[in-house]
Amino acid sequence: MRESADALVLLLAGGIGSRLNLLVEHRAKPAVPFGGIYRIIDFSLSNVMNSGLTKVGVLTQYKPLSLMAHIGNGEAWDFTGRTRGIKILPPRTGEKDSDWYKGTADAIRQNIDFILANPSEQVVILSGDHIYRMDFDAMLSYHQHKKADITIGMMVVPKRDIHQFGTGIVNDENRIIDWEEKPAIPRTNLASMGIYVFDTQYLLRTLAHDRLEADFGMHIIPRAINEDRVYAYPFYGYWRDVGTIQSYWEANMDIIRENSGISPEEWEIRPNPECGGRSMDRAPVRFLPGSKVTSSMIASGCVIEGTVINSVLSPGVRVKKGAVVTNSVLFDDCIIEQNAVIDLAICDKHVHVGAGAVVGDGENLTLPNRQFPKHLYTGISLVGKEARIPAGVRIGRNCIINFGYNDDTFSGQSFLADGESA
Amino acid sequence: MYRPSTLAMILAGGRVDELGVLTHYRPKSAVPFGGFARVIDFPLSNLLHSGIERIAILSQYRSYSLINHIGTGAAWDMIGRNRGISILPPFKDYENPHWYRGSADAVYQNLDYIRYYGPSVILILSGDHIYQMDYREMIRYHSEHDADLTAAFIEVPLDSAARFGVAEIADDCSEGGRMLSYEEKPAAPKSNWASLTVFCFRPAVLSEVLKKNQENTSYEFGRDIIPMMMQQNYKVHGYKFRGYWGYTRTIDEYWQTSMDLLGSAPKIDLESWGIRTNLAHRNIADRQPVKMGAHASIENSMAYNGCIVEGTVRNSILFPGVHVMAGAEINDSVLFFDNIVHPGARLNRVVSDVNTVFNRDVRVGAPKCEQLHRVSVIGWNNSVPEGFRIGCGCTVAPRISAEKWPDKILDDGEELK
Repeated sequence: MRESADALVLLLAGGIGSRLNLLVEHRAKPAVPFGGIYRIIDFSLSNVMNSGLTKVGVLTQYKPLSLMAHIGNGEAWDFTGRTRGIKILPPRTGEKDSDWYKGTADAIRQNIDFILANPSEQVVILSGDHIYRMDFDAMLSYHQHKKADITIGMMVVPKRDIHQFGTGIVNDENRIIDWEEKPAIPRTNLASMGIYVFDTQYLLRTLAHDRLEADFGMHIIPRAINEDRVYAYPFYGYWRDVGTIQSYWEANMDIIRENSGISPEEWEIRPNPECGGRSMDRAPVRFLPGSKVTSSMIASGCVIEGTVINSVLSPGVRVKKGAVVTNSVLFDDCIIEQNAVIDLAICDKHVHVGAGAVVGDGENLTLPNRQFPKHLYTGISLVGKEARIPAGVRIGRNCIINFGYNDDTFSGQSFLADGESA
Repeated sequence: MYRPSTLAMILAGGRVDELGVLTHYRPKSAVPFGGFARVIDFPLSNLLHSGIERIAILSQYRSYSLINHIGTGAAWDMIGRNRGISILPPFKDYENPHWYRGSADAVYQNLDYIRYYGPSVILILSGDHIYQMDYREMIRYHSEHDADLTAAFIEVPLDSAARFGVAEIADDCSEGGRMLSYEEKPAAPKSNWASLTVFCFRPAVLSEVLKKNQENTSYEFGRDIIPMMMQQNYKVHGYKFRGYWGYTRTIDEYWQTSMDLLGSAPKIDLESWGIRTNLAHRNIADRQPVKMGAHASIENSMAYNGCIVEGTVRNSILFPGVHVMAGAEINDSVLFFDNIVHPGARLNRVVSDVNTVFNRDVRVGAPKCEQLHRVSVIGWNNSVPEGFRIGCGCTVAPRISAEKWPDKILDDGEELK
């Protein structure tokens, strides 16, 4: 049984996540496929469900269609019922003009009517783009026990990464006594996970304070630690912000690595089986004579005739005879023709790789993509949705093949050099 | 106003003795098949793809598994104002004190259900065959020929025809013709057209013949209704079906039909057939993709989400949640949901029901067993003790308690109850 009273959940799912490059060209970051059959937001939604919370608002902004289709009526996460529910909260035209969400706090402020319409003791504010498992019920109990105004989920991160986060310095009761947002020279390794519990009345008061305070980490929290009771809720375990191609790829690889700490099924993470291609209705994976598959996750509907090593395959991927897929993430219904080779690649849905083509050719992993050097610099190549790679073509490292690329002549080339885009 | 014109009734009540331990706790139609589905998913998916949306399931034997599987019917899209699946269990009322005494009696007892929907065609199916069929083509044939009954038949080898209902069918057209003779399980079959147990009835005639049949003491469509209709000169047609038909009446047949799913060009292509199952049953939808370990080897096999393969699997079908640990080896077998195979275990030609554990170094079957009935079948919720050896063609009943296991070995063909 749940210990705490019903809290209202607000899920911030509006981020662009632009460093995910092609993967967010047609979908919001929380809707990016992950781990074969999941989408990133499934982790947050399942955590909410498994914490026994039943009322959720999802704040969307950027390319929400894919996300809205995925959430549907919320049945997959048990949000349907007379007193349960999940609502999409898009930005609306305000009193003045179109009010896009200007930041996390601003987005919540624009939905005060939703908070008032769903009376609660506490509001849990989450972001929809992290891979983790967490019991928010325990966090709510902690919040009540501490008689806190705000409780912030925080964890220790490596010093080299800390500049990306809000950081807090705590006293020996875990009360946050100092706060720095994305510090250049960090004084602590305790980082905010973007998970907040607010007392509802306190939240309403603090949001009313100043309409220009648009962001929790930048404005609301720094003010609050001086005036109010703000506590850190320590989290230990697997947590990843998969906001970059590199971290996204690593987290996928973590699922297939032994003892990496992530296990969607054990974590009771639920995908939505009624969404998209209804992946679960697909037949069991067929491993044909001659197939060789190790250290991989293979979803239903795949047909494997070739070799797959260290890779994550979404439903309906076909790997034909002689083809070799290594260290890669392939989304739904990619077709890898005979003798093609894929190494260190992320292929979006319905990519077709022609016979004998190579994606991820050569040994030079370090020449960054010329157009997006900060996105692709570790050797991973990206192939956009529905792109067709002609037979025999060789694609290097850190390359980008754009959405729907379909030029059977490949502009007369037979290869794409490291770091180039097509 | 649109109303469905066809009412489908699925005969799903029976338990088949030959399937033994697989049907101790479920009717035949709810037996798992195809790596994630149940046998009844085949007729249900056929109905879905044939646009037939009003369905009744006649269920009697241990129906919970079936009721649970059907759920709301949403899995097959059978939920809506004019779409639905009704489960019709046996009942008692002022007139009728019986269980369903046979397939024809089961339908007879539900004639008021049929009247309520007032269909123009009644399609009667058996819930326990593996096949892909567009019933609309058969219904069109039935209507075009203005038949009272059209029954579907398939060609089988003459030497196996004696096990079925066998008809001689006139060569009126390529799709079928008048039925010239019909015999149920004849000792000397006159033809090799075997009944699929798929019948189209004119509703008024069905009601008429079922009422007449009540005077009888046997109530089966094959044994009683068709011969009576032939004798009384009803207009009875045979419809010739030419697709794949998988028969799963015995363990050996069940195993063979399962093996037909494998290979580079399988006889049954589940994906293109569009087989749907209820994803909530045994939480199929909650399973993560198949996880393959660093030293896994899997060939010519099927596995659904939720499996973990760390050992060796050949020519086998793994249902969701099967865990093959490193050093285990599985050949030519069908393992139902959530079986666990420990290191050193070697399974050959096994059909193993749900939740069974094969402990370390268990042996079942032999790689080159020449027995006639070579498939060993293990009932659900068993834990086969460490180092135990089960021969070929053995049967182990469900839930054998630890102290009831004999010492070390079960010889070829033996049964453990």
